[in-house]
Amino acid sequence: MAKHHISTTINGEPVEFLCNTEQTMLDVLRDELHLTGTKEGCATGDCGACSITVDGRLVCACLMLGVEAEGHAVETIEGMADGDKLHPLQQKFLEYAALQCGICTPGFLIASKALLEHNPDPTEEEARYWLAGNLCRCTGYDKIIRAVLDTAADMRGAS
Amino acid sequence: MHNFTYHAANSVADAAAKVADGEDAVLMAGGMTLLPTLKQRLAQPSDIIDLAGVAGLSGIRVEGGTVTVGAMTTHDTVANSSEVAAAIPALAAVAGHIGDPQVRNRGTIGGSIANNDPAADYPAALVGLGATVCTNRREIAAGDFFTSMFETALDEGEIVTSVRFPAPETAAYMKFPNPASRYAIVGVFVARTTGGSVRVAVTGAAGCVYRETAMETALEGDFSPAALDGMTASADDLNEDIHASAEYRAHLVGVMARRAVAACG
Amino acid sequence: MTGPALRGHMHHSYRHDSAAKHVTGRAAYADDIVEPAGMLHAYLGLSTVAHADILELDLTEVRNAPGVVGVLTAADIPGENDISPTGAGDDPVFADRTVSFHGQPIFAVIAGTRAEARHAARLARVAYEPRQAVIGTEDAVETVSEPLTLARGNVEAALAAAPRRLQGTLRVGGQDHFYLEGHIAFALPGEDDEVRVVSSTQHPSEVQHIVAHVLEIPSSAVTVNVRRMGGAFGGKESQSNLFAAVAALAARKFGQAVKLRPDRDDDMTATGKRHDFRVDYDVGFDDKGHILAVDSVLTARCGFSVDLSSAVSDRALFHADNAYFFPAVRLRSRPMRTNTVSNTAFRGFGAPQGVMAAERIIEEVAYCTGMSPLDVRKANFYGGPGRDMTPYHQPVEDNILVRLVAEIEERADYESRCRAVLDFNARGGVLRRGLALTPVKFGVSFTATWMNQAGALVHVYRDGSIHLNHGGTEMGQGLFIKVASVVADCFQVDLDCVRITATSTGKVPNTSATAASTGSDLNGMAAFEASEEIKRRLVAFAAEHWRVEPDRVTFEAGRVRIGNRDIAFAELVEAAYLARVQLSATGFYRTPEIHWDRAAGRGKPFYYFAYSAGVTEVEVDTLTGEYRVLRVDILHDAGRSLNPAIDRGQVEGGFIQGMGWVTTEELWWDDEGRLRTHAPSTYKIPLASDCPPVFNVHLADWSENAKPTIGRSKAIGEPPLLLCASVVEALSMAVASTAGYRSCPRLDAPATPERLLLAIERLKREGDG
Repeated sequence: MAKHHISTTINGEPVEFLCNTEQTMLDVLRDELHLTGTKEGCATGDCGACSITVDGRLVCACLMLGVEAEGHAVETIEGMADGDKLHPLQQKFLEYAALQCGICTPGFLIASKALLEHNPDPTEEEARYWLAGNLCRCTGYDKIIRAVLDTAADMRGAS
Repeated sequence: MHNFTYHAANSVADAAAKVADGEDAVLMAGGMTLLPTLKQRLAQPSDIIDLAGVAGLSGIRVEGGTVTVGAMTTHDTVANSSEVAAAIPALAAVAGHIGDPQVRNRGTIGGSIANNDPAADYPAALVGLGATVCTNRREIAAGDFFTSMFETALDEGEIVTSVRFPAPETAAYMKFPNPASRYAIVGVFVARTTGGSVRVAVTGAAGCVYRETAMETALEGDFSPAALDGMTASADDLNEDIHASAEYRAHLVGVMARRAVAACG
Repeated sequence: MTGPALRGHMHHSYRHDSAAKHVTGRAAYADDIVEPAGMLHAYLGLSTVAHADILELDLTEVRNAPGVVGVLTAADIPGENDISPTGAGDDPVFADRTVSFHGQPIFAVIAGTRAEARHAARLARVAYEPRQAVIGTEDAVETVSEPLTLARGNVEAALAAAPRRLQGTLRVGGQDHFYLEGHIAFALPGEDDEVRVVSSTQHPSEVQHIVAHVLEIPSSAVTVNVRRMGGAFGGKESQSNLFAAVAALAARKFGQAVKLRPDRDDDMTATGKRHDFRVDYDVGFDDKGHILAVDSVLTARCGFSVDLSSAVSDRALFHADNAYFFPAVRLRSRPMRTNTVSNTAFRGFGAPQGVMAAERIIEEVAYCTGMSPLDVRKANFYGGPGRDMTPYHQPVEDNILVRLVAEIEERADYESRCRAVLDFNARGGVLRRGLALTPVKFGVSFTATWMNQAGALVHVYRDGSIHLNHGGTEMGQGLFIKVASVVADCFQVDLDCVRITATSTGKVPNTSATAASTGSDLNGMAAFEASEEIKRRLVAFAAEHWRVEPDRVTFEAGRVRIGNRDIAFAELVEAAYLARVQLSATGFYRTPEIHWDRAAGRGKPFYYFAYSAGVTEVEVDTLTGEYRVLRVDILHDAGRSLNPAIDRGQVEGGFIQGMGWVTTEELWWDDEGRLRTHAPSTYKIPLASDCPPVFNVHLADWSENAKPTIGRSKAIGEPPLLLCASVVEALSMAVASTAGYRSCPRLDAPATPERLLLAIERLKREGDG
């Protein structure tokens, strides 16, 4: 079966790739484009390790076909920092030690960024429920939540 | 997954034609259940017809006492719609408690009801509100739409285009979620119309959404939690699985129903 | 301590060494490493029955599937078909003739892509002759290893003489590790018989040893590398062997690099978990809550092979006293063989199950005497001579629990909150609250004494940069940054001068698993020894070269003071190099003092104990059984913490993992022996929304290890998990409130909402009857 030719935008850059229909967006990112910052935790849409945004909306890359990316704008962890300048969330995750093994971290950062774009002033409970689609087995989440809420406060102060 | 032919449909008619053409074609309306199903090879369709690009299938319209939700409207859109929140707040609440943000951003009402998972939330809202399912061929009352576990009244090639909800006088949904999947172990949707008739729709507890008619009768006499005191569902026909026993589900139907009535205010 | 200019001291909160890579997605896990051209992919074919003879294995369709290069079965194994970590010979790579659990690997298929291999693996036709399958321990008759008995005093006489006596049973469930990075290994064939393996493993030396004997090649032909794991928690101690062995077999047979990465369902089905236990206890005590005698039998579901079950069930016994002195005691293990996946190491390694049993006994005594559980605890803590002997005849000499508990009571405002909870419950609403304070005493050292050894390799290069390698593995716990800070501290250089490198069996041989919380104790000390050796040579050189007394050569803040001279560290190194001083050293450490005679049940298995105390408050909806953990306060003993921020992270993460174990994480095998909870959609680990909104975690900053460990620190990985007993007891209190606290609810774990509701109904019936 012929591969599909897909034109999309990834982290602000126009990107074209070839994929089979059976490849998920996660497969495309990791295997075709070598953007391995997006991780596979469960491949069934339950763990959030493969979180990306598509046209600004948070989704699991494992529950999206590569062919569905046609004409859409995809953001991954690789596009979160501006060159060497970390996004405020990335900076706060460092300051709060909001990570251990680190494999869920890209998904949490993408989901947290989507949260703050959607709701710049989340309550703690809103943040916890928004991030309930992302599993972390190491940290117990507390430092992650503190980092996100503190970033939100900073970003509100800055704007 | 296996390799299949992917089609991005550009209209409902185009999608219907492609379904008819395909040897074993299926529609994709978000893919939140379809993709995991394909990954496990529980289905291996020859063709997938993606409805994402079909114009006019998504969006919310409120006219008079009716809320019409396009089939491809995502749960997130329904959950955050100020129009839905004003007309039928319980419907927005149902959508806002489906899955997690990642799922709500892609999953759609049409996909959910066409799949008719026995533990899905929307079927309870449709049956509880007495909604009407509009397809490319006809209109189907919600009560007739959900026929049995993962089965609906939809014919081959029939495509859901929208769902029409009459605004009730008051309504509320209470869910006891499965902590892992967030599907309903038991979900109860209670609605009272301005005419005073009451519907109590239960999801998660049995093989398919159903109505607790004895509770409805009791509530039509006295719309208060106390009217349901001592009433539970019969455990006989309820699900018994790794998540909960039938007796526990029966008990939860009673508790969730009383809480839903209380939430109706 | 020197000035702030230097970033390189022990006891400081440095970031995880990979943190900047974690937040940018640049940290490469095994599956992120660029694949060599021609990499093939393997996938496992698993048994679909729990116990059967294999009558026929027909792989024709598998071989003929698109992209398939070949298959592997037991017949393709040149060496031993065994991956048992103890060499027990009962844990085959591929089942041969008989399958012993549902999900056991029977063959592997190798294909061009992972999708092709995964697809082909489902096409096997296997004819089985079913045999009787033992799923639960109630039907089990055979043990996987020799049971252990720990005994002191005449327990039967003491029970008979006790003013009060009761018996009961506690069941605690198992737990899936749910590391976010699943198992993975890839192997590359090398020169002659050599093979290089990248494995997500806590135990590279064991993987090396297993690959060697499965392939029938010397260990010297196998190199295993691990840079980092995406979580492990004990699940990658022995369980990595399978994946590495299959990848290596395939690489050898097909002459190509081969990767094996199971998907989440197969990982959960085919690899071992925490043991579920049944504990039957018989306890004698007096009216003042003093425990006089305990006789407990701890029955563990071990699965089809011994794996690490002998040591796990031993450690359960070692912790079945938790923090309490039992004047007369007998503890017996029953490690039972079942036709389920072979249970294995999991953070705590049997100790959490033992502690749950000890805390249940405390609770029983409290409800029976009407005392508060905390008062019962205090009445039974280990004390001075006469009250300091454990059931294994090692005295407790470093007990700090009295102070730790007093401080956490203060910090958590325990007394007034306890009153508030009682008042809240007295109002009789649907919502009820519970509050509990539980302690932990955790024995540190592998109980297999020989495993308490570690090696390190340190090179100092001419420019003053330092290469650090040791036998420990990084799974997120921050071991690498801790050990790096030990080396930086030793040389008084900036942390950035110390290059952290991937664990490799080619650099440091014969290492032990990074397990039993001993990672920084063992590897920190080995790296310290290696660094000290180089430093001694540098000091001797400098003293001779610049003609000063050796004690006038001191290292401080990136500089070296030699008499009145002050030069850069790199300058000294270059001068030493030109003078032909060896700038590389190995370091070796073995834990002193410990010994253990298992047959006698006596010895000193633990070098020291780590302590902790935690307070948990919960709220239960008594109509549905649903509950929330409202607040948790912990005061933890990390000795002189090597890295307080990292250690607090371990405490938080360990506690929440334990909370998951006793609340929502439920493993469910059906009557056919199939694990039905094999994905995150059915198996529930804690989410951000499940965790306590108030979570106060402190380290006891006054604590210092009585033993000369590295920097007088203490092990941190496992002990905090054991505080989850406080969650169960708090839930239990809320349940008991519905029946006037008259009887012990005897909550089993996991304490799911349905179990809570059943307990409430049972108490109500008992109260009515």
